[in-house]
Amino acid sequence: MSEETGPQGTGGGHEVSAATLAHGVLVVPAGLAPRRVEAGGLAGRVLPPLRGLYRLAARNFPLLLLGAIVLSLLGVFLGWGRSAGGTVLLGEQIRNALVLGAIYALIAIGYTMVYGIIELINFAHGDVFTLSGFYAFLIAGWFGLGGLATGSLGGLLLALLILFPLTMAASGLTGMAIERVAYRRLRDAPRVAPLITAVGVSFLLEGFMLVKFGPDNVTTHNASWISGQAFNVGGVSVGVKDIFIVGTAIVLMFALGAFVRGTRAGKAMRSTAQDRQAALLCGININRTISVTFFIGSALAAAAAIIYTINYGVIQWSLGFRFGIIAFTAAVLGGIGNIVGAGIGGFLIGMIYVFGGSLAGGEWSEALIFAVLVLILTFRPVGLFGIDVATRA
Amino acid sequence: MHHRDLGVLSLVTIAALGVLSACGTTSTSNTSGGAGGLASCHGTVSVATDLPLTGGDSTDGPFPAYGAQLAVTQANSNHTLGGCTLKYISKDDSSVLKNGHDPAQGVANITALAADSSVMGVVGPFNSSVALAEIPVASQDHLPLISPANTNPGLTKVGTNPLIDTASLYKNGVRSYFRVISTDDVQGKMLAYIATHELNLKKAYVFDDQEIYGVGISVAFKQSFAADGGTVVGTASLPGSTTTFSTQMSDAKSKVADLVFFGGLSGTGAGLARRDMGTAGLTSVKEMGGDGLVDTKFITDANSGANTHAAEGVEATSAPDVTKLSSAGSFFSQYAAAYASLPAPYNDGKKEPYTAYGYDAMNVLISAIKAAITNNGGQLPSDTMGFRDAVLAQLHKVSYDGATGHVAFDQNGDVPAPFTFTHYKVSGGAWTAVETLVEDASGNISVKS
Repeated sequence: MSEETGPQGTGGGHEVSAATLAHGVLVVPAGLAPRRVEAGGLAGRVLPPLRGLYRLAARNFPLLLLGAIVLSLLGVFLGWGRSAGGTVLLGEQIRNALVLGAIYALIAIGYTMVYGIIELINFAHGDVFTLSGFYAFLIAGWFGLGGLATGSLGGLLLALLILFPLTMAASGLTGMAIERVAYRRLRDAPRVAPLITAVGVSFLLEGFMLVKFGPDNVTTHNASWISGQAFNVGGVSVGVKDIFIVGTAIVLMFALGAFVRGTRAGKAMRSTAQDRQAALLCGININRTISVTFFIGSALAAAAAIIYTINYGVIQWSLGFRFGIIAFTAAVLGGIGNIVGAGIGGFLIGMIYVFGGSLAGGEWSEALIFAVLVLILTFRPVGLFGIDVATRA
Repeated sequence: MHHRDLGVLSLVTIAALGVLSACGTTSTSNTSGGAGGLASCHGTVSVATDLPLTGGDSTDGPFPAYGAQLAVTQANSNHTLGGCTLKYISKDDSSVLKNGHDPAQGVANITALAADSSVMGVVGPFNSSVALAEIPVASQDHLPLISPANTNPGLTKVGTNPLIDTASLYKNGVRSYFRVISTDDVQGKMLAYIATHELNLKKAYVFDDQEIYGVGISVAFKQSFAADGGTVVGTASLPGSTTTFSTQMSDAKSKVADLVFFGGLSGTGAGLARRDMGTAGLTSVKEMGGDGLVDTKFITDANSGANTHAAEGVEATSAPDVTKLSSAGSFFSQYAAAYASLPAPYNDGKKEPYTAYGYDAMNVLISAIKAAITNNGGQLPSDTMGFRDAVLAQLHKVSYDGATGHVAFDQNGDVPAPFTFTHYKVSGGAWTAVETLVEDASGNISVKS
């Protein structure tokens, strides 16, 4: 992303009235879009014959991406590329994609919320995810949740009811502290300043985790909490754990949606995102609102970290870097600033990761995701669910 | 300063020769020295090590360096080169930039050593990636390079690693690179033997971690597995940072694999792959791999998932533990005596298996230098290239019994058969030795009784 194509200075206001804002949208996702997109863009300028093609691709980007995903599902089923084909494989890969997508979605929401409200790409967010994994590991150890969770169903529910709120609160407070210490003073500074601080905080957290928890995978001992098969459809075994992971993610996303739409704090967040100065004039406590945003974003990253450890059983100091970048791509795909978009973007990225890997080989999974990132930024910087640039002008 | 003009030096020695010629034959029967016709030898020969000594590799590289240094100290005190002395030069191929071994630093070191006309050989490097960068320079300058630790077959054997164009490493055909340790392709072959002959497995799904070691061993395994009648049903090449293998395990399941082979290390996902095999329902499928799996990290990672005993039954091969060899016993006590003043862990050579290989590599180099001088009438050859060529020729026919066993080199610079590896299996939460396998000179593998 180049800085010149970013949105303009803070408080400048976007030329869209509040009425046109969708409910789940924190800010008009001008996001990473250039202020004015010439028809045909750069490609059109350099090579006039490409202009029509570019415009076509830009207009129909969501359709093209959806088509590509449907085609890859079909390919895995029919056994194209490196896939052996078959319904069982297709079913298993859909399951794998949803589980991975749920984790990406929850992390992506944190990126998108922070971007929506202070237009900062919070590079430390991926590391907050990792740190939360360690919090979950420590909390489960302190409260002896392992024995409780594996004893009975009631014990498991109790353990989860202790683990989720405590970890999410700890992570939320960490997020608030990061904002207070590293970002607040720089809120009106040139945009690159908080970006650099964010990278600095990211390194700080990684360094801390490396020293404190060592370079190896740390076994979190909670992968055996939830076991058993929920159902079996035509040979595709879906575990209780898979249902739990995807279910938790979806419930949390709906809860967040209700919070942003239906509460005063949510309203304050939306108005702060839309125009900070005006919100201030209306008596909204900007600092508190931004703190709340960081708290929620970090808490959701903590939820992602808990379901990650429940599924994979390990956490490692550098995990957040890769997960962060991929989740960031999910946020951009959904239109950065758009909460619903980030959620859906997370699941789409999960699909691309798994189906790309299944068809082309796992070595291409990440390359495909970043290719998608480049394509979005080229053809549809506002993301899949952003407001079309043309209608904005 | 270790720069020395060999030409001038040898003129001096030739002048001295006339005076001392009578003494040349009077052997002083110095017991351990065995100087033979070298008593009249005059001058200094330099030998070097090029190993990673600082940064992330500081727990590995210094050990073979100290081992090699000990060999030089002993040779000098025993007057192995008669009247000539050995000078030891230590180079560090770590860089601050890489916080450990750095191929660019290695090339700079070898270039400097090759330009020094007194240097007749180098023990090093430690890492295959560094060797890949250094070999062309050493080959061009005819500088003997003896690695105590490189196991990648592609460094010497054409067509064994798709990531390496072996022939291009030796552009002028000078094979100046040697190693005192057997290569990964032997391991791949032995693992294929275990899979097909002992476990009767037919369909392998082969992973590699995109690194030189992992790719090398998986290529060797695939070739041997197919030759032994097995089928490779699928492959996956994933970076070492991969944290989930579920997509590939579903793929392996759909291809009805009965074996998952992991070419890589426990640090590049071997244990996590085992964890994900359980999640994908491949619990009855075997996982195998090379020595990169044989550590406690593998077991911890494999057991981190829902099945806390997933590591059980995983099989691997690894080189025999040199610290337990009877031939290495006296070396390790000599090391401990010589380096008692060093801080831990460097005062104990057993802390790193490559210590003894560093010692043997330097001893082999010294014995080749000694033979080259002997062949030159007990005098240092005047021409640097001629001297180095003579040392290379001697290395190619060396036969030396060292701390790690018998050392000799084939035409590629590799140690020849028989190769010995230990077959390990996870049992009761720990790697336990199953048997010892030996590959003989004709390539047949058998279980050593």
